[in-house]
Amino acid sequence: KVTDEQKLGIPGVIVKEKGTTNLTSTDNNGNFSIAVLSDQSKLTFNYIGKRMQEVIVGNQRIFNITLEEESRTMEEVLVIGYGTQSREKLTTSVSKLDMKVLENVPLANVASALQGTLPGVRVQSTSGQPGAAPRVIIRGGTSINNPNGAAPLYIVDGIIRSDLNNLNSNDIESLQVLKDAASTAIYGSRGANGVVLVTTKSGKAGAVQINYGYDLGISTLQKKYSMLNARDFIYYQRMGIAARADQDPSQLVKLGLATSGGAGNDLTNKTAYTTQYLTPANSYKLNEGWDSMVDPTDPTRTIIFKNTDFQDVLFSTGKTNNHNLSVSGGSEKAKFNLGLGYLDNEGIAISTDYKRLTLNMNGELQATDNLSVFGRVLYSNMRNTQVFGKESDMFGRSLALASTAKFTYEDGSLAPGLGATIGNPLYYESTIDAKNSTDNLTLSVGGKWNITKDLNFIPQVSIYQVTDDNRSFQGAYYNGPASYIDSRVASGGYNKTLQHQADGVFSYHKTFLEKHELEAKLGFSYFQTEKSSLLASGRGAASDLIPTLNGSAVPVSVSGLESQLRIMGYFSRINYNYLEKYLLSFNLRYDGASNLGDKKWGFFPGVSAGWNVHKEAFWSSISDKISQFKLRASYGVNGNIGQLGYYDAQGQYSVGAQYNGAAAVQNTALSNPGLTWEQSKTLNFGTDLGFFKGRVNLMLDVYRRVTDNLLTNMSLPHSTGFASILTNLGSLENKGIELELSGRVFPQSSAFGWNISLNAAKVKNKILELPNNGIPFNRIGGDYVYNPKIGDYAWMGGLQEGGKPGDIYAYKQKGIYATDEEAAKGPKDTMVPLADKTKYGGDVNWEDVDGNGLIDSRDRVYVGNIYPEWTGGFTNTFNYKNFGLLVRFDYTAGHVIYNYTEAASVGQFQGENGLSSTVLRSWKKQGDITDIPRFYWADQQARSNLFRGNSHYYEKGDYLALREVTLSYVLPQAILNKLKISQLRLNLSGTNLHYFTNYVGQNPEDGGTDNGRYPVPRTIVLGANLTF
Amino acid sequence: CTKTLELDPISQISNQSFWKTENDATGALNGMYVKLRTQAAGNLFAWGEARSEVMDRSLGGTAGLQVFFLNELNRSNVGVSAANNTINSTWQGMYAAVHAANLLLKKTPQISFSSENNKNQILAEAYAMRAYAYFVMTKTWGDLPLVLEPTEGSNPDVIMKERSSKVVIMTQIKADIDKALGLFPDNAFKNGRNMWSRPAVNALKAEVYLWNGKVMQGGQDDFRTALKAIEEVEKSDVVLLDKYESVFDYTNKGNKEILMAVRFQDIESSDNVFMNMYIDNSYMNKNTDQTTKDLIGVLGGLPAFTISKLVRDQFSVDDQRRNATFIEIYAPVNGVNTFYGSVVSKFSGTVIGGARKFYDDIVLFRYADVLLMKAEAQNALSLDPTAAINAVRKRAYGVNFPVHTYVNQSVVENDKAILKERLLELTVEGKRWWDLVRFNKAFELVPSLAGKPLDNNLLLFPIAETTLSLEPKVKQNLGYN
Repeated sequence: KVTDEQKLGIPGVIVKEKGTTNLTSTDNNGNFSIAVLSDQSKLTFNYIGKRMQEVIVGNQRIFNITLEEESRTMEEVLVIGYGTQSREKLTTSVSKLDMKVLENVPLANVASALQGTLPGVRVQSTSGQPGAAPRVIIRGGTSINNPNGAAPLYIVDGIIRSDLNNLNSNDIESLQVLKDAASTAIYGSRGANGVVLVTTKSGKAGAVQINYGYDLGISTLQKKYSMLNARDFIYYQRMGIAARADQDPSQLVKLGLATSGGAGNDLTNKTAYTTQYLTPANSYKLNEGWDSMVDPTDPTRTIIFKNTDFQDVLFSTGKTNNHNLSVSGGSEKAKFNLGLGYLDNEGIAISTDYKRLTLNMNGELQATDNLSVFGRVLYSNMRNTQVFGKESDMFGRSLALASTAKFTYEDGSLAPGLGATIGNPLYYESTIDAKNSTDNLTLSVGGKWNITKDLNFIPQVSIYQVTDDNRSFQGAYYNGPASYIDSRVASGGYNKTLQHQADGVFSYHKTFLEKHELEAKLGFSYFQTEKSSLLASGRGAASDLIPTLNGSAVPVSVSGLESQLRIMGYFSRINYNYLEKYLLSFNLRYDGASNLGDKKWGFFPGVSAGWNVHKEAFWSSISDKISQFKLRASYGVNGNIGQLGYYDAQGQYSVGAQYNGAAAVQNTALSNPGLTWEQSKTLNFGTDLGFFKGRVNLMLDVYRRVTDNLLTNMSLPHSTGFASILTNLGSLENKGIELELSGRVFPQSSAFGWNISLNAAKVKNKILELPNNGIPFNRIGGDYVYNPKIGDYAWMGGLQEGGKPGDIYAYKQKGIYATDEEAAKGPKDTMVPLADKTKYGGDVNWEDVDGNGLIDSRDRVYVGNIYPEWTGGFTNTFNYKNFGLLVRFDYTAGHVIYNYTEAASVGQFQGENGLSSTVLRSWKKQGDITDIPRFYWADQQARSNLFRGNSHYYEKGDYLALREVTLSYVLPQAILNKLKISQLRLNLSGTNLHYFTNYVGQNPEDGGTDNGRYPVPRTIVLGANLTF
Repeated sequence: CTKTLELDPISQISNQSFWKTENDATGALNGMYVKLRTQAAGNLFAWGEARSEVMDRSLGGTAGLQVFFLNELNRSNVGVSAANNTINSTWQGMYAAVHAANLLLKKTPQISFSSENNKNQILAEAYAMRAYAYFVMTKTWGDLPLVLEPTEGSNPDVIMKERSSKVVIMTQIKADIDKALGLFPDNAFKNGRNMWSRPAVNALKAEVYLWNGKVMQGGQDDFRTALKAIEEVEKSDVVLLDKYESVFDYTNKGNKEILMAVRFQDIESSDNVFMNMYIDNSYMNKNTDQTTKDLIGVLGGLPAFTISKLVRDQFSVDDQRRNATFIEIYAPVNGVNTFYGSVVSKFSGTVIGGARKFYDDIVLFRYADVLLMKAEAQNALSLDPTAAINAVRKRAYGVNFPVHTYVNQSVVENDKAILKERLLELTVEGKRWWDLVRFNKAFELVPSLAGKPLDNNLLLFPIAETTLSLEPKVKQNLGYN
């Protein structure tokens, strides 16, 4: 019997008599039997993800084999481009995902599994919409213009994709990330940003296995915005209006309007808010749950109101149901695998969800002695619903709908709130009818032809098709109480991406004189993708009954687009080692792409070498302590055209606009026939260390990547009439260090198992070169501010040579003036948006950086950078008897977030939004010492204490996330036998449990401006996995 | 194998494939007007009127626009306007129109046309556009980089330009106007009057020469040239409509008073700057009387700025233009009907599907404007300007015209009257600031300039920080740091 560390029988383990073709595999319980030639035979036990074991048969007849998790040891087998390689012989930088991450929690997007689990891979969840793809950036990315768009190349079963969306994590057998240029050189043209290689599950020889898994998940909001309730809101809103009247008495009229804090509302359907003066006619509302308060601006009057927490309206508990069924098995001649999955993932924002149906079906047949063929189908259908309008409107503005807004009118119908972008979520969600459906289909066939014992040929041809059909219909709605919009805008679209790919690889593998091992590959690749779309929109339907376009009376627009891209390549890899001590590897690729200018072909070589020091004779004295010591070095050149449009080199005259009903053609992009490959050169040094016979393993990589000929949008002078031109002028350096550590705390023999794995990565980006534009440091954009270092004004930030992208500048809040007298002594503030620039107590005391007595745009200071420097994570797994516990953290540090939502709800930028509870500690009277300025209604019109960009609201995004905790239990065999099932594993998991962070907003993961994002939900999952 | 990699675009036009047929040129011509429309949406108003005494904050605050009417412009606040999307006052958009014109001027001559007239018409419109764009820009910034060739690459030796003096710019404008006038096949308007025509270019010519005569000290010859151009305008199919308000009627676009207007319309354009001068529900006072509510109709837009009290009060109650220009909103406060706010009604757009859409055409030239330029030129030549002034007043006051009939006075008084007539006639049509500069009255009449150094450089706009950061050879205007 073969089991894992949790005593769970492992089905499908290949048991082989070494040196023969005699093999079998374990059944569902992990049992096997095999007839061997002699007692001297050795049996090997092989299972992906487990460390290979070898035993001598001897006189034993019953074997109880425990296969260990493959920690980051030398035996680990890695899928690399067009082949596999053992960690022992690897000379490049490749990280492999610990499959435990995929075991417990149903991930709507597989890329989320990379978060904090692989060093040097930055993954940021920017939206909690179910199924939303997180951002994945490897080693800082190679882009200057759009560092957040430098996505890696994704390859699933040899087939290139643009993302991992709609892939079922249960279908995944392994996932690895190729990081250095030598490893990605085999994908030459597109490898610069790293390559994510995914292999899906396929049939294995052995008994048929049937597995069913079910997860039930409950998702909830992690953290609410802390907002004022209606009573406090009315108090501050009215005092804020009154404060405005200090400088502008006409503002007082607002106290009587039908606004969030104004008392001019009534009980009719004509006003959006509940706030109103108490009258005999409306006093009965006080018996219906309304509240009253003294008008803070006129103590003789009473205001009544009703409090509604619109966060409670928008957020609800989301349920997730996930079913997976797999059947696989076969003989040495024929293998088959079927995986079916259905995920229904409700979001925590009302009426948002993600539904995914997946199929993974494949088979392989040994057609003749030297030829096998295979066919694979990978299919998914995804449907989702998203929030009304833009995410930032829903989660930044509507979420902050003032708590005094009416939830329903007197007649019980839903009230709309202020309007569509700041509205009652429940009302607006009820007015849309949308469908969003995506099919991903992969069909591939291929084979393996063993031409001789040492030489084989593996061809694969595939079709990958993504089709997306969607429609949306905006029913008639009230845009605020007074405006009834019945244009009933409808739209429909159909997008198709059809990709053809053909690859063929000759492989030669031979060991000479038992010392020299040579592996050589030669292959070609053809890739073509064709995009087409049809889009139309209309309006003017007579009623809300038909959500499709045929209901529209007025056609508004039509569009249809087609485009094509073709990339061809030839590649080769030669691996050589001498006694597995000295390792050498060459990767070459010669690629041509249709979207480049006149020079279409590029050559991308990679070379790497390694030395297994521990295999040297001199090492044996310390090999029990330091069991493994390998040194690696690699250098390679990659290409990249990832951000280049299909026809960008040719310039563009675009169509679609009209003037007076006639078609207009506009020159929208300048041609640049010289556009060519970006070239990324990476030098990587690494070491793999194993201590105490593999109980502790350490991998360390340092690298420097320089990307030249960057496809960079060079900003053009405004007098050219263009914003930019795409050029190859630019050079970016990413320098970093990556560390991966894993260890077993207790020895293998201990009943209690505790494994730790940890990874950390730091990356620094630096712009080396920019297109020559005659400006010092060839700067593009930036801020003209006083630089105290040089004692003069200078252009800072933007993009400039020697700098880094993403620097932000803002006005530095030194403090809040406690009194008018103190304020009068301060510098003159030219940014006060009124004719009178006098400063008062409660205003921000800005740092006058240049000391000229004036606060203006040149007084901004550096407040941080939007890109993180540190990423990583750590995982603890514990095993005791049938119980397992996994605790996984990840962290990101170094990025700064402009908490716009907080600034806006302290400064009341919108005018009618809810207010942050931070306002409670705002300056109120002469002498107050605080860090929050006096509350004025609409700060940007009053003092611009916040609106101009106040350093106080540029917050560090550093966080540590408790990403997953899982408690699992494997039912004992005795019980299972009674139930007539072979295995049952139960798990209780929590994901996204908590962010440890000082960031005040909801999601600290992404740098830059936080205008409001769909919060990442906390999910509790109960899962069961059953094998028959 | 390289052949396999040569793919032509399917759904877009590349540089190689364009500029082959007459239709290509027509499409590009339409594209040139789309560029102009982007500027007409807000920038033309920002440059031409927002700094004048006409504008003041409105009920919804300022949306960052106070930097204009408070005359607080500086390098960092002029290139961005925080809370509205119609104004982005760098010169990039104007140069986009210049580029479109330059392309037409370079490529059209190589194309064979079915008739020479069609080709000349296109070239004439391109010259006209270039002249207009440079004129707007030189009025706004003074000296300018002079770009007469289409942008075709990024060679810094070609694209990095110093500013040419405004004298050089004016010379180019005049030359382009003459070329345009020579090329227009006839004196007719295109359907809709929303593209350049010979009469429209003559109106432009009149303004250019008035500017040259007054601001650039060109002298009497310029006024004579302006007057001549106006005579040419008057030979075309243009009249004063009987009713002032029908000139701006949404359903009466391209009427016979219009010489040139930039077309805004449903589906093809977005709202223009007038959305910032109306009122939406959150700022409306529901205690206002029903008559006012009916006048305002469907609410919409965002009240960021509006016509100042100073200017509203200059309209006499018997002036028909008053009600056609703005609506004042009164509401009872403690029983007393009190002024609450005002909105601009002249360009209040239309209502589509229940929503107010600010799709009025932006009028660049209309006959009443030309008539007042005529009076201005005449007065500058010490000729009697009363006929032209009274033509405008007659329509404005209708039966009350006799009490408002203008009688010839001194040159100074006449100028004062003409400037005021332009204020009343052309309110919010994007002319006032430039009128104030041309009559050299900005410091006198704009309250927010009071106390500012009497420095004529302040009459120019600062060059935006974003522009300076990309064009190192361009130096900031004097008076701005």
